[in-house]
Parts: sequence; C-alpha cells; structure tokens
Amino acid sequence: MKEISQLVLPEDVKYATGHEWAREDGDEVLIGLADYAQDQLGDIVFVELPQVGDSFDKGEEFGTVESVKAVSELYMPLGGEVVAVNEVLEDDPGLVNSDPYGQGWLIRIKPANLSELEGLLDKSAYQDLLNG
Amino acid sequence: MDSLMKKTPLHAWHCEQGAHMAEFAGYEMPLWYGGGIREEHMAVLRSAGLFDTSHMAVVLVDGGGSRGLLQACFTKDLSRCVGKAPGPLVTGRAVYGVFLNDKGHVIDDALVYMVGADRYMVCVNAGMGSAIASELERHSDGRLSRVTDLTGSLGKMDIQGPGAAKILGTLLADPDAVFATMPYFSFKGHFDARAPESGQVHLKDGSPILLSRTGYTGEFGFEMFLPLERTEELWTSLLDAGKASGLCACGLAARDSLRAGAVLPLSHQDIGPWPYLNHPWDFALPWDAERKGFTKQFWGRSALENPSEIYFTSPFAGFDPRKVPVGETSAVLSEAGKPLGIILTCTTDVSLGRHEGQIVSAVSGTLPEGAKVRGLSCGFVRLTVPLSPGERVILTDGKRKIPVEIVSDIRPGRTARCPMQTML
Repeated sequence: MKEISQLVLPEDVKYATGHEWAREDGDEVLIGLADYAQDQLGDIVFVELPQVGDSFDKGEEFGTVESVKAVSELYMPLGGEVVAVNEVLEDDPGLVNSDPYGQGWLIRIKPANLSELEGLLDKSAYQDLLNG
Repeated sequence: MDSLMKKTPLHAWHCEQGAHMAEFAGYEMPLWYGGGIREEHMAVLRSAGLFDTSHMAVVLVDGGGSRGLLQACFTKDLSRCVGKAPGPLVTGRAVYGVFLNDKGHVIDDALVYMVGADRYMVCVNAGMGSAIASELERHSDGRLSRVTDLTGSLGKMDIQGPGAAKILGTLLADPDAVFATMPYFSFKGHFDARAPESGQVHLKDGSPILLSRTGYTGEFGFEMFLPLERTEELWTSLLDAGKASGLCACGLAARDSLRAGAVLPLSHQDIGPWPYLNHPWDFALPWDAERKGFTKQFWGRSALENPSEIYFTSPFAGFDPRKVPVGETSAVLSEAGKPLGIILTCTTDVSLGRHEGQIVSAVSGTLPEGAKVRGLSCGFVRLTVPLSPGERVILTDGKRKIPVEIVSDIRPGRTARCPMQTML
C-alpha cells in the first residue's frame, strides 16, 4: 500500500471526495480515478463506462471500476454530457492502475456548469482529506 | 490497524514490503503486495507463489484412542480414504474432511495427517484451533487420547505452482530422497526435532520441517510446517532461491481467486451454518458405494440423514470479469427474475476467459488462437432448488445484474495432481 507521501497527486487536476479527479481541457473536462483509489482497489479487471451522449448531474453514478476483490461506483465530480469514453480500458483496464492521470482516464464531458470545478479540492486540500 | 489483531511471524516482513494488510479471522494479513493480485495469481499458474499461512491452526491428537476419536468426529472415513480401493489412512498420508455439529452444520474443514501410529495432526482454519481442540476433548469419552492446540506456536507457508519443487529442492538437504515418492496428499518429516520422523526432511541448515504435498490453490505445490523462529528465514531463503524462476510472495486475495477457480470452499463462507449436503465437496462425506447411506458414525450424521433445511451449493462462472459484491442485498435470481438463493463467493479468476462459450485458461497451453483472456467472475451460489451445469442465473446486488452459468468445474488445466516426476 502506498504511503500518502508516495501517492502521485498532480497539481493540474481537481479532486472529488470520492477520489475521482477532473482536469479542465478547453471547454471540456477529463475525468479519472485518483492514485489513492486505484492503489486501494488493487488490480482493476473491468471498467464499466457510460455511453457517449449520456448526461449526469454532479454526484451521480456514471460507472463502476472492478478489481479482483471489489466493485466500486464512480461518481461525477461535476455535471455534464459525456462526449468521449476511454475505449482502450475495455482491453486494458490496468491502465487505471499504471497511469491513472494519463492513459487511464475514464470519460470526457462537456460540463453543464464549469464553475462546479471550483467546488472541488485542490492538491493541498485533497492531501488534507487523505491525511484525515 | 487494531493493535489487538494477531500477527504471524512474517507480519513485519509483510509491512516492510508495503503489502495491503487487512483483518482476516483475527489476524492482520497481507491481501497483496506491490506487484498486485494479477501478478501473484499468474505467478502461481506459471511458476510459483509463496503464501504466509501461519494464521492457520494445528492441533495434535495422540494416544491409543486418537484414531477412534478422529474417526468418531471427522466426516471422512479413516478406514476407507486412501487410493482407489479405498484403503485406510496410513502414516504419511493426509485426508480432507469437515467437523460438523449436531445440526450437521460445519464447525470447520480440516486436513487430518497421520504422523505415526496413534499420532495425528489436524490442520484447521485461523482462529479455530481452540474450538476444535475443545470439541475433540469433550468427545473423547474416556478414550486414551491427548489433544494439544499448537495455535500460535508454529510457522506455516505454502509454495504453490509448477515450479514449487524445483525451487524448494534447492533448499532441502536431500531433495532427491524427499521427492522420490511423494504423491498428492502425502507428507514427510516433522517440525519438532524430537519426533522420530523429523529426520525425513531437513533444510540445508539442518532444521526439520513437515513437508506436505497439499495446498489450497488447485495447483501443484507444498505446505510447510516449521518452528516459529525459523519461519522468516525459510520465507526469505525461498524467495531468494525462486527469484530467477518467477517466484513471488502472494497475499490472501490471490489465494482467494485461485481457490475459487479451483472449486475449493472457504470455510465459514462457502460451507457454514447449514446442513453439509448437496455441494461439490461430497467426497468429504463417508458415503457408501450406492451413495445412499454412510459407512460410519460421525458428528452431525443424524442431522444429515434428516436435514431440517435443504440447500444446493454450486460453482458458477461468468462470461466476463464482472462481479457482484456479496452482501445483504445480493441475491441469485432466475433469468425470469425469481429469487433462487444467495451468493457465497464472487471473485475474478484473472487467468480465465471464454472462447466459443467454453472456459479457457491463459496458461494451460491450449488457448485457442484469437481467444482473449480478460478474467472471469466465479465462485459459489447456494440455491433453494437444484440446477444443472449449463443453466444460467443472474447475480444481483439490487442494482447490477450479471448473468453467470452454473458449472461443474471452473479453471481448466490445474496442476495439483500432476505426478511429481513431471514437475522436477
């Protein structure tokens, strides 16, 4: 298990309390699972993602990630319409473990209200959350 | 972590390695190490894995009444349990069975080892040593027997996988003699230097171990019992010896996914407080040749002859890795949505896939071209009606609905029973 100090916590994303991350990219937002969550879950064996065109509110469940041991729901860090899903994860779900902020991204959305991003945690607030 | 949790002699090693630790039966145990469950699971299928199983409990039963006591308590008929005939349990052989209570419910499953004349070793699950020892004492009925609970005073580790004998052989004083005759479910040696058998298996440093050709992964390998203080040394020596051939330390998560794929039950989860009938482990009961009655008396027999409840436990396999978490809201439904029972175990065997509907293994050497292995969910369901292999049911947690198939077996190409000579 990674110590908090060993976790990768990039500065260019915002974190949700459920350990999803969101990265602003033009007028779209990329969403993924934070290093802490992938480390806790262990080897991811399956990722269930929504359809392009689906819309979700902030906090709504949009999919699941499964490790050998557990099934974990994914919740929207901010509301919006899904414009792309990471289809590579179907064949290689382990990318969520090996590159959680890069090739292991989950969905790309067109946010309903970009200001919801401001309500998420920055790196230092997220670190405080992890440190309890 | 709760400081009151019990620790095995390898606890500090697990923590130093950064293992994910979790409580299991009162012990703080490693779930997986840095390489992850997939790597550990695959290592056992391709080369070998090393498991800390020191949390399991050993009870010794000695004396002129010891065989009679075990025969009266344990489900397996000790006079008909070895070989095809079958013959009686003899020195150097072990048998699998369960201890039932008077309701026919499982107290625990166990291996009974015949160490010598009037000397037996019973290996039960973590935390069960004292319960089984007191039950045996309570039922001794004046039989001349002595029951000794060795909980916490032995180390135990399992090396499992096709490379197990080659790796272990490098640490044994006389591997050729040890491996020359060692069929499945036989054992040699002793962990106590004072025991007459202790000369049979020595490590190169001279320390005696009890080496058993058993395990709980469905794969070829050994269980080793040894003095507590020698445990870490053997553990690290084995890991060093096996490094080049792919041996890795494995946690309880890989043990769970391997044993589920091998159709082996987890005690207190897949077998438990309901009558021990109608399940894949019928061989643990002393059925007569016609399978109509039992060949001997044992704890729980009359309850099994007149069960108060009837359940049917079956293995299942999914069509992809998706699982349903087992909990209060999880259930098994018919395809029409009718409740059929409960889920006992649901995990993912990462080595499995489906090809034209059939279960295929990534390592059996028979993987058809173009077959993709993403892992399959598998485990056990307990139903109120009997279903046949091939029938489909739905697993649900109230939200997700995952179709799975009732099967008679799960992971193909298991190596546990491979002849020793083919593994050296």
